[in-house]
Amino acid sequence: MKGHSYKAGIFLKDESRADWHDKTLWMVRQKRDKAARSVADWEDLRERASSIKEQVLSNLDFYLSEFEQRAVENGVKVHRASNAQEFNEIVYKIITDNNAKLVVKSKSMLTEECGLNPYLEQRGLEVVDTDLGERIIQFRKEPPSHIVLPAIHLKKEEIGELFHEKLNTPKGMSDPVLLTSAARTHLREKFLSAGVAITGVNFAVAETGSVVVCTNEGNADMGVHAAPVQIHCMGIEKLVPQTRDLAVFTRLLARNATGQPITAYTSHYRKPRPGGQMHIVIVDNGRSDRLKSEVHRSSLKCIRCGACMNTCPVYRRSGGHSYGYLIPGPIGSILAPSYNIKKHTDLPFASSLCMSCSNVCPVKIEIHDQLYKWRQELSEKGAFSPVKGLVLKIAGFILSKSALYDFSGKVARVALKGLPRRMVYSKINVWGWERELPAVPQESFKKWYSKNSGKNNL
Amino acid sequence: MDILRIGLFIPCYIDQFYPQVGIATFELLQKLGIEVVYPEKQTCCGQPLANSGAEKEAIPVYQNFVRNFCEFDYIVTPSGSCAYHVKEHYNILEQTEQVKRVRANIYELCEFITDILKIDDLKIDFPYKVGIHQSCHGLRGLKLGSSSELITTRYSKVHRLLEKANGIEIITLDREDECCGFGGTFSIFEPHVSVKMGKARISDHERNGAEIITATDMSCLMHLEGIIKRQNKNIKVVHIAEILNNNRL
Amino acid sequence: MSRDNLLTAKDLIPEFIESLAHVGAEVIKLNGKDSVLAYISENYPECITFENKEIWEEYSFSCSKEKLEKLGTIQLEGKFGVAENGAIWLDDNCFPNRLLPFIAQKVIILLDSGKIVKDMGDAYDCVNDCGYGVFISGPSKTADIEQSLVFGAHGPKSLLVTLF
Repeated sequence: MKGHSYKAGIFLKDESRADWHDKTLWMVRQKRDKAARSVADWEDLRERASSIKEQVLSNLDFYLSEFEQRAVENGVKVHRASNAQEFNEIVYKIITDNNAKLVVKSKSMLTEECGLNPYLEQRGLEVVDTDLGERIIQFRKEPPSHIVLPAIHLKKEEIGELFHEKLNTPKGMSDPVLLTSAARTHLREKFLSAGVAITGVNFAVAETGSVVVCTNEGNADMGVHAAPVQIHCMGIEKLVPQTRDLAVFTRLLARNATGQPITAYTSHYRKPRPGGQMHIVIVDNGRSDRLKSEVHRSSLKCIRCGACMNTCPVYRRSGGHSYGYLIPGPIGSILAPSYNIKKHTDLPFASSLCMSCSNVCPVKIEIHDQLYKWRQELSEKGAFSPVKGLVLKIAGFILSKSALYDFSGKVARVALKGLPRRMVYSKINVWGWERELPAVPQESFKKWYSKNSGKNNL
Repeated sequence: MDILRIGLFIPCYIDQFYPQVGIATFELLQKLGIEVVYPEKQTCCGQPLANSGAEKEAIPVYQNFVRNFCEFDYIVTPSGSCAYHVKEHYNILEQTEQVKRVRANIYELCEFITDILKIDDLKIDFPYKVGIHQSCHGLRGLKLGSSSELITTRYSKVHRLLEKANGIEIITLDREDECCGFGGTFSIFEPHVSVKMGKARISDHERNGAEIITATDMSCLMHLEGIIKRQNKNIKVVHIAEILNNNRL
Repeated sequence: MSRDNLLTAKDLIPEFIESLAHVGAEVIKLNGKDSVLAYISENYPECITFENKEIWEEYSFSCSKEKLEKLGTIQLEGKFGVAENGAIWLDDNCFPNRLLPFIAQKVIILLDSGKIVKDMGDAYDCVNDCGYGVFISGPSKTADIEQSLVFGAHGPKSLLVTLF
């Protein structure tokens, strides 16, 4: 089974590269800490963000309905998609209704989730991802390894090679300023000739029917204001009740994601420009099912900041591609099983449950608890192999009976002491691949106690 | 004044492989004037099973724990993760008075000393350069200290107990609370990442001059020691109980 | 708080200027709008301003993309600024065409230093209803290539804020 553990092993074979990846992401975590410390009421903000999202989730139908009504009043066309297929069809229809051939797209994990790009490309359309990191991985035909920093796993020399191939930059050129400049020229041409611009949505405001998109590059705005047709794609959970609620989220998001006080552009789209068309597509794709689960609904509070990935020691040392799901790291590990429980049985175990993720989450999702609960659910749903299930049952039995426990412990210790090293450290002893087992003591604590009990000081 | 009577819980891996930690805990608590009772039918807190997804299979283990410890005003254990597990995850048991009592009154050793006994100077000698590994469940679960992600006043109960030791120098780490990578069954299911994380912790301590790594959890130390021994390094691991009990190394 | 009643604590200006520097914007502070306009015409004679009704019309929504793409330096006036992050709010009332703040190579934003609020909480009390509005904090930027910060990702390569 080529799960996370196996892929992580491969990632770690190139130790210096793995160290570089770890260090780079740790720096992002440190930038986040510095930014968070500059906000006196940071923990209070997290609490407020969590409450606002809880309120939305508890009244989702009401807010969705209000949002749609306001948006329609603003001259926006609102569409609802219950699943990925419907979403792709709706977007495709808008594009073909407007005879567009070229689509520019700013970052949207939702469109990745629904497989929009391949759907459109198979139907003869050209889709250009305009976020620089996304464009890089689009050229490389690989998925993002991080939801905010999609190309974090790549070195500048590799990007230089890629741009030499795709954009005719000079061979060997790897200066980020020059590479970015080449991308700027290339993408400006796309922005100005696109027939449709697609964006994701960071926040959708029920009170006004507006959508808010946060970028550093300005690529959402470049696309939207140049193309005749703009389409904003959002999951149902992206709502916030009122404009003033945006204050809490705009103070948290960029600081938590990259350590900036705010992104370069925080754009509020409410009405189409004169002569333009504005569409909003609201997508379910399993979200309302997750909402029904008492245990898992809190994952819908996620505002996609990526901080959980930066802080996760496992993510830093295994890389986003080891997770096998479009969203990696801690949040990905609690979302993935709800989409495909059979495929992603490994992900809730790709964690040491250190709880760092829960502490950085701006909306206070108890990610560590969700990971723990997924483990129980996987066990109940029979996702474990029969051997593993049996081993655990036996262990449970032994550990509940003190005589059996004492006996098993003794057997283990005697065996360890007695067996030759090459037997103890055979391939099946996973612990022993890179670690020594503990030394075997003369007696257990229990034995010592029973020999010495009744005496006061020893 | 009534002498405080506590139930001592010794985690399964300490019982089997590191009895000296249990002995140090026992001796220390006695020195502090406590009547220490060790219920001999105790086994395990059930965490290894629960973390593997077998919470239901662990219920008989949980029940054995409650049976052994429900009579005590306090339960003390030299393990942050076991104390955390009982507090948090015994919520799946029917919440009888006994279960509630056990969950409310279990303490890791250091927090018992600082919060219940209200002592922070144990008058110990420890003339070494010491790195404190802040085991995750104790730190973030039991709030034995302020974790680096939270924007809050900084504190550490473990640091408080150590800083007054004669001759000690507590080193500062580059990453003060990164996980060691043990994570229970994680160390077996994800061996490569687990060891890589352990190596990183050891390097951090070495780089910053630690001669000894200490922690509230022997499980973390067992994992680090396993790597240290395989790599033939000189740095030592010593459980906090042995330091606080003024054991000679 | 209504948008006509902005807080002007004197000590918000230094914080605002510091935030602007932090996000990569250049800042100049002069006395009075006239001084600022004079500064711009002296140092950026090629700068296009949209205060004139005719130029406003010329660059409105029907303006061709080719014409827009040729824009070098432009000048806009912001509605208010936010001290905690150097952001400035602009909306449909500030430009004839929504693409302008992005397509130009360099953007100069004039801002009345009496119109600075402390943080986003106050800021959202001041944003007005309009079809499009944006908080602009510094020039366009990216760090997608090995975390190296580069200005001018797609939008303007530089932003100058002229406070008066």
